[in-house]
Amino acid sequence: MGKLIGYIKQYIAFVKKEFNGYSKNVKIAIYVMLFFTAGFFVFGIQILFWGLGYTDMSNFYPFGQWIIGDLGLVGLGGGAFTTGFLLYIFRNDKLEPLISSTVLIGFLCYLFTFVFLVFDIGQPIRAFFIYMYPNWGPGLMPASMLTEVAWCLTFYFLILCVELTPVVLKHKVLDAIPVLKYIGHYLHRLMWIFAAGGTFLSFFHQGSLGGGMWDVMYGKASWFRAHHIYFFVVIILATAGGTAFMTLCAYVAGKVMKKEVVPKETFNSIAKVSGVMFVVYFAARLADVILMGTSWVPLFDRSYLSNLGGYYGLWMIVLEFIFIAGAIVLLLVKKFREDEKTFRLGIISGVMVMLTTKLHVVLNGSSVPNFPWKDFIGYNPTIQEWFIMLGGLSIMALIYMWFVKYTPLFPHVEQHGHHEGEAKAAE
Amino acid sequence: MKKIERKDFLKIGGGAVLGGLTGYVFSGAPFLGMQWLFEWTQDQHVPPGGSESYLKTLCEACPDKCEMSIRMIGERAVKIETSHSGCPFGQNALQLLYHAERIDAPLKRTGKKGTVKASAFERVSWESALKDISVRMNKLIGEKKGHLIAGINKDYNLSAALLDRMLKAAGSSSAFYEPSLKSLTQAALGGYVDYDFANTDYILSFGARLLEGWGSPCAMNRAFVDWKKKGTKLVHVDTIRTRTASIADQWLPIKPGTEAVLALGIANILKRMGRAAGGYDWMAVVNAYTPEKTAEITGLQVKQIEEVANAFARARNPIAVAGRGGKGVSSSSAEIMAVYALNAMVGSRGAVLKRTAGLGEPALSANAAASLREAKRHAGLDDFIKNGNFEILFVNEADPLYKSAYGAELEGKLETALVVAVTPLLNDTALYADYVFPSLSFLEADTSAGSAPLKPYRKAIHAGDAIIGLAKMVDDIKGSFPWNAYVDLVKTYGAPIGAGGVNYNAQVLKEFLSSLEKTLKASEEFPLSLVPVELTFVGDGDGLAFPFVLKSIDEKTYSQGKLWVQINRDTADREGVSEGERIDIESSRGEIGSVRAHLTDTVAPDTIAVPLGFGHKAYTRYARDKGVNPKEIMANDIDPLTGAANWWLTRVKIS
Amino acid sequence: MAIDLDKCTGCGACAIACAQENNMPIFEDDSDIPKRVSFLELMKVTNDRDAKYPDVEVCYIPKMCQQCEGNDPKNPKPPCVSVCPVVATDVGDDGIVSQVWSRCIGCRYCQASCPYEARAFNWWKPRYEGDFKNSLNPEVSIASRGTVVKCQFCSHIWKRERDRAVENGVLDINAVTYTPACVASCPTKAFVFGDLNDPDSELCRLLEKEKDRKFRLVHTIDEKDEKTREKLMHIKNFPNPKVYYLTSKAWIREMMRFK
Repeated sequence: MGKLIGYIKQYIAFVKKEFNGYSKNVKIAIYVMLFFTAGFFVFGIQILFWGLGYTDMSNFYPFGQWIIGDLGLVGLGGGAFTTGFLLYIFRNDKLEPLISSTVLIGFLCYLFTFVFLVFDIGQPIRAFFIYMYPNWGPGLMPASMLTEVAWCLTFYFLILCVELTPVVLKHKVLDAIPVLKYIGHYLHRLMWIFAAGGTFLSFFHQGSLGGGMWDVMYGKASWFRAHHIYFFVVIILATAGGTAFMTLCAYVAGKVMKKEVVPKETFNSIAKVSGVMFVVYFAARLADVILMGTSWVPLFDRSYLSNLGGYYGLWMIVLEFIFIAGAIVLLLVKKFREDEKTFRLGIISGVMVMLTTKLHVVLNGSSVPNFPWKDFIGYNPTIQEWFIMLGGLSIMALIYMWFVKYTPLFPHVEQHGHHEGEAKAAE
Repeated sequence: MKKIERKDFLKIGGGAVLGGLTGYVFSGAPFLGMQWLFEWTQDQHVPPGGSESYLKTLCEACPDKCEMSIRMIGERAVKIETSHSGCPFGQNALQLLYHAERIDAPLKRTGKKGTVKASAFERVSWESALKDISVRMNKLIGEKKGHLIAGINKDYNLSAALLDRMLKAAGSSSAFYEPSLKSLTQAALGGYVDYDFANTDYILSFGARLLEGWGSPCAMNRAFVDWKKKGTKLVHVDTIRTRTASIADQWLPIKPGTEAVLALGIANILKRMGRAAGGYDWMAVVNAYTPEKTAEITGLQVKQIEEVANAFARARNPIAVAGRGGKGVSSSSAEIMAVYALNAMVGSRGAVLKRTAGLGEPALSANAAASLREAKRHAGLDDFIKNGNFEILFVNEADPLYKSAYGAELEGKLETALVVAVTPLLNDTALYADYVFPSLSFLEADTSAGSAPLKPYRKAIHAGDAIIGLAKMVDDIKGSFPWNAYVDLVKTYGAPIGAGGVNYNAQVLKEFLSSLEKTLKASEEFPLSLVPVELTFVGDGDGLAFPFVLKSIDEKTYSQGKLWVQINRDTADREGVSEGERIDIESSRGEIGSVRAHLTDTVAPDTIAVPLGFGHKAYTRYARDKGVNPKEIMANDIDPLTGAANWWLTRVKIS
Repeated sequence: MAIDLDKCTGCGACAIACAQENNMPIFEDDSDIPKRVSFLELMKVTNDRDAKYPDVEVCYIPKMCQQCEGNDPKNPKPPCVSVCPVVATDVGDDGIVSQVWSRCIGCRYCQASCPYEARAFNWWKPRYEGDFKNSLNPEVSIASRGTVVKCQFCSHIWKRERDRAVENGVLDINAVTYTPACVASCPTKAFVFGDLNDPDSELCRLLEKEKDRKFRLVHTIDEKDEKTREKLMHIKNFPNPKVYYLTSKAWIREMMRFK
């Protein structure tokens, strides 16, 4: 027994030593993230056991922060399928150094989409009903967008798990076991199959969760679009904003580690892809807004502008277009792309496009009154919602940090990076 | 060295976890845990079944005595089937019957007065409670101080008549009724007005919100359905566009509080047609209110007033209705007289004065007669609260602490007296009671149609039985109570009889008009008028204890802990108040804080409409601490005839 | 169903009868309107958007589930039904949009898609403190926390009536009619309930007679001519509710439009 305590003490000392290896700023960040994580668990238990009454969602405002989180995470995680698709199908080998990180982020995003969904539904214990009693229509197409989303998410999540396996297997303890090393190697070779399958699935659920789910609500002037227009708009956004996010994550990881985690041409290449997709998205979104204003909302005998009142109105759409313009200019013009500062701004505005549009869809859509004599509704997330949201993101970041530290997430660092910066963080 | 140790550590750790997990699974704990989890989250209470049956009864909540059918599952009453009886309130009966905080036995106070906690009371037996009170009564009457025993009733019903009789027999003149349509009219006119809404063809309502809980809702709703068919014309005078005002064929948007002046103005026009009522002095006052002057005071147009007066005079069977408000009525005696005079002037057959036959005068013992000579007379409840004294107070279903504008004064007096509250739910007044007697809902009481459909709740008994039981234990009184139980009287009590003529008191009218003139003048300090509004089911506070009533409140009245008041748009602009802003309302009596402003043009300029019925200190967990009680700051001039505070119109300012 | 708004005094008896009949949960604070569970909301509507004192008007609109059916009555497609991921809600042959409490996982998608705010979610654990349990109706199951519930036109009463009819030897149970709780409780008989498919029913005759007075909640497509309506219905589904409101006041119809 005394021996066991000794081991535990030793392990704690090991963790302490590792932790002290970080710079001050990173330490503070870790403290903050651990604080949110603790809140995540405390309030998570409260929400799961005592109900959603502790949120600021209501019968008039059924979707809140966690749904925005779901949309955002899935949208941003959409970078994983785009990158995989470009690398394995289009053979854009410049993206190779980024792919492991991308797969991991995709995995985390989807994982936490499920986590937030578990909090968001009123009866998490019955969540399996979606698989047991799915609302398939008479044909192949599912009747409910949410059924489709859940199924596609699940399958794509499984694919991401497989895609992630080789990365995990490269952990030095596991890598020492020959069988696992062998499996890891061969999985890597087969990855294009999964990338293709993943892209196929991704197209559906990106569209359905981000767009289709909203544009089918024919009773709601704030969301309805005929012919599933929004479905396609959102897929384009996922490819554009997702890749920007993947770039941002790798960029931040590099900054924190003070190393070049991926070669410059990788960034260059993916930023170009992102920029081009943003041009397409700009056209699509503009068409969407114009059609909303001229065709779809007037079907309800209402005006689009009157729907854009309240707290989350017109300014969000304007902001979104500013960010779109920023992303296009900063990522496509060679001069800006190659300057680090403007490049950074570019990918950040790319991610911000995703955020503002998701915020707008959920916040504005729910706040629009259903009756002419009612007011726009405001939504102030409670402390429980904030902690679960931020705690979830913190856990994601912590896991990502673990992977960066203990697995060769960025093979480029292993191969070339040793001479750059201080090898402070690596053990 | 270190590496090996870490490996060992992992092995030991892994082994421990595996072993623990195996043990955990085989212990059955996870399955129990699952079961617990499912019970916790799937908690579907299954209501017990039983054979279905329907019980018939009469609703004696009002004189209309609607027939009711109660759907029973086994022993449980699950639904009131009224099938269009006209009465909305019957639907609420089961919530009182099975209220979670219904008092199940007589309670005796053990803790401090005014505490909300249930632990401030202990359950006692009926015998010991009645014994204790009767000892105090015997002592007081023996000392020829019977006049210090007082009672406050809510409605005119059998138990109120029994309480009246008990007090009279004890030598007290202090039997009061909460200000209501009936009590105010009785005090002003000498009898309540029995309006024939079914057969009239022209109704002129002076602020009486006829379809929002006013009077007897069954009769009103039934009559309303007929008005549409018969083409009866409803003219409604009100400051606020209430639902009644919107349903009415014509709405006279009058300045707040000037209904009496309009009545005099119409009387003036009728007089020119050669009609008269009241004495010379009275008509002299009427003469002063020419259409022009009336128009100036009320804010109406001369043409409007003349049209209404002519239509009223021409109608076959017109009635003018007094009694401003819905459930909570506030009209001065002068106003009630002035409006009733219109009926007399046109010789209306639809407004007849009636009285309820009481239980007769009790024989007084020597002690009682002696104390009666000592007794001070008070015109009405608020007069009594302000100026009266008592050592023993019976509160029969009433809640004067909450409903009276003198609630704060009463609070101090209740602290020192022996207070007996008869009520099924612990209301604000019962917080100061030494004894609380649980009484019955109408479903548990015998009616003239037969015995009660449901058994009384636990140890609750009819208020009449409690009073008879107590009277029989008091030496000087028991002779006046020959009955064994209230059921002996159920069949005979309550027959209406005719009342005498009205004494149109010109002096009271003059005094009222001069004080009204002062109130109407907008002062620098208090530029706005505060008038009440009501929700039908909340009324002036009785409905708030019921969760289903809370579910029917609209979001611009009370929601999420915020009480909303309605302010005219232009006035709000001038005062710099925006929609949803938090404001305080201040009158010369004090301030009510933190209500939200709802800007709406349904309210007259310079006027604030405040909902009644909120701001209870007790009255079950459902009503407690919800909003504010505006009576705290409402005007409290006591009327000379009704003895009630005239709180309808209050000058206020907002900040 | 048809509701004559000119007869409605806004008393709220319908809401209370509904709550009693359908075992409405009692929460800590039922005056918390955004989170309360009730099937029937009594909406106070004024026209002070368009008018100033003293030309304003007030009315109350009792609003329950409008039992939408979409463009094609033969293939009903209410906005809330197709979105449910677990088939917890459906339209039956009787045209009533039903909801199975125990199937619902509480995703609230149906709530979001309902243009009439007719659905409610059990944000808290339903509590029936003390003796309130005694007045629960065994015919309506009690929902767990975290599920969506809705008005079903008291279809359990129909079942009750049909069972009774069968007991009495009536064989054609589809001819059996019933009265929902709100309809039965109305003190001024503002509600009329009946079979919209049966042209001889009291409801259909009333709607035929009151053609000029009837309208549907925020359903402006009704005011367009036949051709435009068909064209619009080609583009998108419209809720097409089965609850009609009657009024002779123009301002109420005017308030159905967004401005």
